[in-house]
Amino acid sequence: MRRVAAAAALIVCLLSLTAAAAPATPPILAAPPATPAGEPWWVPVGLRGETVTGLTAHGDMITVTASGHHLVSRDGGRTFAAEASPPPPALPTGVDAEVRSGADRWALSAGRVLRAVGAGGLSPDPGAPDLGRDAHLLAAPAISPGVVVAVSDAGVVWWRNGATGSWGRALVLLPQSLFVGRPAITALSAFDEPVSASIYLATAGYSTLLSNNGGQDWSRAGPGLPDSVLSLASDSAGQAVYAGTTDGLWVHHLRSLPAIPVYTGADLFNRRVGTALITLVAILAGLLVMRFGLRSRPSAA
Amino acid sequence: MTTTAAIRTAPAPPVRRGRPLWWADFTALSAAGLALGIALLGPRLLPDTDPLGVDPYALRLGAVSLALLAAAALSPRLRPALPVMVAVAAVVLPFVLWSALPWLLVRVSGDALGYRVTTFVQDAAYALATLAIVVAAARLARASWWRWPRLGMSWMSAGAALLTVLAMVLVFLAVPATLVGRIAVPLAALTRDLPLLGPAFMLQAVAQELAFRGALLRTLERAAPFWMANLGQALLFGLAHIAVQYEGPTDTIVPITVALGLALGWVTKRTGSLWPAIVAHAVLEVGQAYGVLPGLYGL
Repeated sequence: MRRVAAAAALIVCLLSLTAAAAPATPPILAAPPATPAGEPWWVPVGLRGETVTGLTAHGDMITVTASGHHLVSRDGGRTFAAEASPPPPALPTGVDAEVRSGADRWALSAGRVLRAVGAGGLSPDPGAPDLGRDAHLLAAPAISPGVVVAVSDAGVVWWRNGATGSWGRALVLLPQSLFVGRPAITALSAFDEPVSASIYLATAGYSTLLSNNGGQDWSRAGPGLPDSVLSLASDSAGQAVYAGTTDGLWVHHLRSLPAIPVYTGADLFNRRVGTALITLVAILAGLLVMRFGLRSRPSAA
Repeated sequence: MTTTAAIRTAPAPPVRRGRPLWWADFTALSAAGLALGIALLGPRLLPDTDPLGVDPYALRLGAVSLALLAAAALSPRLRPALPVMVAVAAVVLPFVLWSALPWLLVRVSGDALGYRVTTFVQDAAYALATLAIVVAAARLARASWWRWPRLGMSWMSAGAALLTVLAMVLVFLAVPATLVGRIAVPLAALTRDLPLLGPAFMLQAVAQELAFRGALLRTLERAAPFWMANLGQALLFGLAHIAVQYEGPTDTIVPITVALGLALGWVTKRTGSLWPAIVAHAVLEVGQAYGVLPGLYGL
């Protein structure tokens, strides 16, 4: 037993040394501005119980289409008033979607992605896929020139590499079962001023997702938000993203991601000692169970 | 005396007259489960510290496994526990290597290898280490208690592999997506990642089947009825996923993997071959990595 105890002690010492050599986790780089302390990721703005299908936002001016009615708020969503007449169509004839990104203008027409540089006219972007005649979702963050995300009418998300101009299919993970299909993608949004490179995608059934690498990969970003999100709007002036859902209008203010704390060696000393002791206790517990268990085996009869 | 030398010279574990051998295995498995559980989860009770990123938990598991193996090899009183402790070491030690490899590879090559190559190297090393321990244990022990995992290939085992995969995929699809976090995977992701991750997951399945349905199940089976041996290996298989999912939720993955372990053990017994379990396990690994983990983690 002495040899066993010596071996166990040696192992625990080695373990402690290895634990001491483990590096501290670097902090996640902080980015955007201050957000009200403790504010949830998504906050309800108003119109609870209403289905918000259309949405634009710029500063305190928010226009929505809620349960078929056109409403406008001039106080950041605190109060809404019915619009006397519906807003005029925002898109030229034949254009299904249009966004600006710096000096570029991007448009979707009959399933084709078009680009206009400066004051020039729209022309097909070489290499852009055929998105289908009903495609109407397009986003281009102003902070990343040349980066574009578009959704085909079959629900496939495509992203454009800003450096090479090539297009590829994005990795968007959505829940699915034998009985309920993949949730529909309902909206896309990015900031039209150089505020953030994040691109947001809304779904009817899986809340919102965001991409921080130009649309290549997407992760869920909808804590607190209803699952069915029907419209999105990025407000560069307010540094916020608005979501129109089946339960009203919600807002997310840009913020840095929660950072993992960084510990110094002194902070971790007690933890390492504690961990080594717990490991020793674990070994002793195992030895005791073996020792007494093997001694008190029941009889075969 | 080293551990391997001790194993080489160790006689077959003594069986006391009138006492069943399965009791020794049961005791050894309980001792290993308890010790590994305390070592894994105990530090979570420590206050004011972040368990993520600074907690080399796999090393603790390796230390406990080695200590128990050494004790069983060196102490005549504990020697009846040796077969199970060898099998547990075949489970734990390759996992320690598997956990440490990404960290080591980043130290050696920086970020040059990337996620897919790192995963392939990690799983290849995992499979090789498991195989090495199984072969070493078999060669060194030369004892009556060692039983080789069943690796025979036959038409029956090939058919069973196909049926098992189909059955598991159907069962898995029938479970509500909200329960298991199942996610729809675009074809783009599969075509991008499968050339490297497919073989990687196959190797990972080989390693785990060799360890659980091979070494551990065969060891337990020599003394206990099959149902008891199968339950023992399945429980350890399920609990081992607390370590695999250490930084994520375990409430769904543990019961699912216990049930999976039972099913794979049963298929192995019925077909007399590990291959159906390996194939089914590899398919499920791919499905889990692509379709389930992102959902479980709420990504």
